[in-house]
Amino acid sequence: MSLRNPVARTRIFLAAAFCAFAALLSGCSQDKTWDLDNITGIVSPLAFSLTDDTGRHVTAETYRGRIVMLYFGYTHCPDVCPTTLATLSQALSKLGAAADKVRILFVTVDPQRDTPPLLKRYTEAFGPEFIGLRTDDPALRQLAKRYRVTYSLGKPDAHGNYEATHSSAVFIFDGKGKARLMAESSSSAAAIAHDVQQLIGGA
Amino acid sequence: MLLKDVSRKPLLWLAAALCMAFAGLAQAAGSPASVEHARIRWLPGDLPLAGYFDLTNTGPRPLTLTGASSTVFGDVMMHRTVHRGGETGMVPVHDLQVRPGQTLHFTPDGYHLMLMGRTRTLAKGDAVPIRLTFSGGRSMDVMFAVRGADMQ
Ligand SMILES: [Cu+2]
Repeated sequence: MSLRNPVARTRIFLAAAFCAFAALLSGCSQDKTWDLDNITGIVSPLAFSLTDDTGRHVTAETYRGRIVMLYFGYTHCPDVCPTTLATLSQALSKLGAAADKVRILFVTVDPQRDTPPLLKRYTEAFGPEFIGLRTDDPALRQLAKRYRVTYSLGKPDAHGNYEATHSSAVFIFDGKGKARLMAESSSSAAAIAHDVQQLIGGA
Repeated sequence: MLLKDVSRKPLLWLAAALCMAFAGLAQAAGSPASVEHARIRWLPGDLPLAGYFDLTNTGPRPLTLTGASSTVFGDVMMHRTVHRGGETGMVPVHDLQVRPGQTLHFTPDGYHLMLMGRTRTLAKGDAVPIRLTFSGGRSMDVMFAVRGADMQ
């Protein structure tokens, strides 16, 4: 491109001025902006040793190279767990083919009822990227502690049904297993898709 | 049998059509309320399900929702999801008052009907009857649409 050409120079100046104006309007700078909470350097890297919903032993290395979303819940949870997983499923739909670069790891806080076959049927209902993981105490307690989340199981009623409390956080790790972002049950599918797209792009 | 009978009697047929039209609006006689977006999220096996809807009080007096029941579930409870210090759980809900003109939302991550103990298998696309009960002995039958796990 010739800068000696006055028309081209004017065009470049106008383009630069427009860019600066647009940047001012959108408030964006050269930093990456995130819709979700940035937890880089705050939350421990991905590390675990668990059994997946096919009975296979898996570790963080199993999912290296993929964006991992880690969530603690239980299948008998009627509202907040499936609501969160449905939002993640909708976010993956927005990513199209890039969704295959993402794995959603659902760690059950109720390993007694959440057998691998039940976890498999449950996670499959949300999509092929969803994987159920389990372990027993005390390994589960240790894993929860690593991510500073708590959970508790309620007292069984006359029918043996019980509820649990658990964290609403979804921890998002990059392909190297570094904790980057945190979503919650109230996060929108659009915000999650936007940020995961940036992570896939190497942000 | 029923169809055969009504087809022979135009008046009955008309009455049936009118009833169906009213049922579509989910506006039962004696219950000055309307329900929209009644839906259930399907999950596999016999896992507890959540039911959601929007209930509008179309009458002149306050309305109190006291509970729900269904022939398709052994147990129906009203719950609310609560968040406390990063932890989430559910609490039972008993009486919910709706003022005239107001809409009560049973919505994901909030109020929900907790549906337990399926009496038959359910699949996406099914319609499930649930009876909402109000103080004063009134009730209203509503058809809930079964959606997929991803709510699509
Ligand atoms: Cu509940």
